[in-house]
Amino acid sequence: MAAEWTKLWSVRSTWWTLLAAVLTMAATSAQLAIYARNANTDDDPANNPGVVGVGEIVAGSLELTQYVVLALGLFAITSEFTTGTIRTTLRCTPSRGRVLAAKAVVVGAVTFGLGLLLGTVGAVTARPVLGEWGRAPLGGTVADVVAAAAYLALIGVLALGLAAALRGAVLALTVLFALLMIVPLSLQEPDITVLTRIADAFPGVAGNHFLAGDTEPYPAAAGLLVLAAWTAAALALGRWALARRDA
Amino acid sequence: MITIRALTKRFGDVTAVDDLTVEIRPGQVTGFLGPNGAGKSTTMRMVLGLDRPTAGQSLVNGRDYRTLRHPLHEVGALLDATGVHPARSGVAHLRAMARSNGVPARRVTEVLDLVGLDARAAGKPGRALSLGMGQRLGIAGALLGDPPVLLLDEPVNGLDPDGVRWIRGFTRRLADEGRTVLVSSHLMSEMQQTADRVVVMGRGRLVADAPLAELIAARPAASVRIRGPEPAALAALGDRLAAEGATVTTDGGGMSVAGSTAGRVGDLAHEMGVRLHELAPVAPSLEEAFLELTADSVEYAAGATGGGTR
Repeated sequence: MAAEWTKLWSVRSTWWTLLAAVLTMAATSAQLAIYARNANTDDDPANNPGVVGVGEIVAGSLELTQYVVLALGLFAITSEFTTGTIRTTLRCTPSRGRVLAAKAVVVGAVTFGLGLLLGTVGAVTARPVLGEWGRAPLGGTVADVVAAAAYLALIGVLALGLAAALRGAVLALTVLFALLMIVPLSLQEPDITVLTRIADAFPGVAGNHFLAGDTEPYPAAAGLLVLAAWTAAALALGRWALARRDA
Repeated sequence: MITIRALTKRFGDVTAVDDLTVEIRPGQVTGFLGPNGAGKSTTMRMVLGLDRPTAGQSLVNGRDYRTLRHPLHEVGALLDATGVHPARSGVAHLRAMARSNGVPARRVTEVLDLVGLDARAAGKPGRALSLGMGQRLGIAGALLGDPPVLLLDEPVNGLDPDGVRWIRGFTRRLADEGRTVLVSSHLMSEMQQTADRVVVMGRGRLVADAPLAELIAARPAASVRIRGPEPAALAALGDRLAAEGATVTTDGGGMSVAGSTAGRVGDLAHEMGVRLHELAPVAPSLEEAFLELTADSVEYAAGATGGGTR
């Protein structure tokens, strides 16, 4: 585990990814906050969303920012495949389960920490832009930020497990994109209850239900559990693939 | 001690390693020879738990590599690709390896000293390392856990003469310390300088497993090369030698005499008054022994060299 920690921080791209995530978050939050304010001040009162909590802005911004965070989980293992470092890693730790577990802990911890940072950045950016149309009750905002961090940590580890199974960053990213957005969106589009319910079982949708604090179709905590189940499944798949395949 | 039992690896239709059984003993340098594509690297990768055997097993000190918790204390290895991330410095690479196996950080400095890499070279990112520095870094990594078993895949590849000499001395010393040292190479001459014992593979199969001296002695007989200014006299000498049971082959301006000794040829020449300009015993090289052994097992015909190493 300590080894994974050293490996992650001794490559410069990790730092660039973090910076990119922070910038994306700040930009997206500002943009969403501007939308919210414009919607409140334009001529169509039907659009009026009223006073918006910064937590909602943070959750909305994650739709985009999560992909930068995903990259961190992906690259924690795909970079080892492309550079051959995986052979060194597996020689040092032949147990595939331990390698993946160590990576999962490190990726999870880093993305959780990053999530806290990003949530704060998002809230701090959105608050002044929203002006009179925003509110940021301390307790609620902190809870939203921690929820965002938990969401990102699970998504990051999900990306890691999937990448371990699929090997290539591009393929893994494509599958993730499909899982998080394309498939559930297509299922929701026709507005047929059965399909929408199926979409609710997808990790991205479940995560959104959790972030939004929904009570329908299932409680927010259940959304978190559904997402966690996806993450666990991805890790199991990754472990199985690592053990079977020649490095 | 490395124990390999009925080890087989198939990649689709290609059988890379075919029912290999061999034991690599401690206290000596074992040369692992074979032409490109003979299955040497694949065998080493299976010993290290990187490739899954199709059948059979390989044990290091009696244990399956994949069951070792801190394998760097048991087996050190240098693979042809050193496995350093291009953007990570050599020091960070070793430090990560050390931490994964509970090796203290100061050992990193020790092994860097051992292989002769200074702080500046070790601080460079993987992509900026020369082949020689990369090999030294790889060996430093192999020595981290002070393991009793070492596997070096083509360690002299791409090294300058200095580096080659260094590797030779180094493997010798490691074996003298009682370790098991397995060194693969497709260069026979290299093994002749360093190995005590030789394991030869061809087309995935075991071709020979014998002490170096025995392998050399058993194969092409020693011969004597002679050359002289008087062809007729030389031919007469050749006839005498042939009559004594030696095998004489003529080649441009000289002869090669097998089945006799330099002493006998010299005495006879003196007796017959034949002038000689050259009288040289030719020891059979490992190269020749090897070529003969693997003659029918060379996978790649001339023109299709390379490949083989992954």
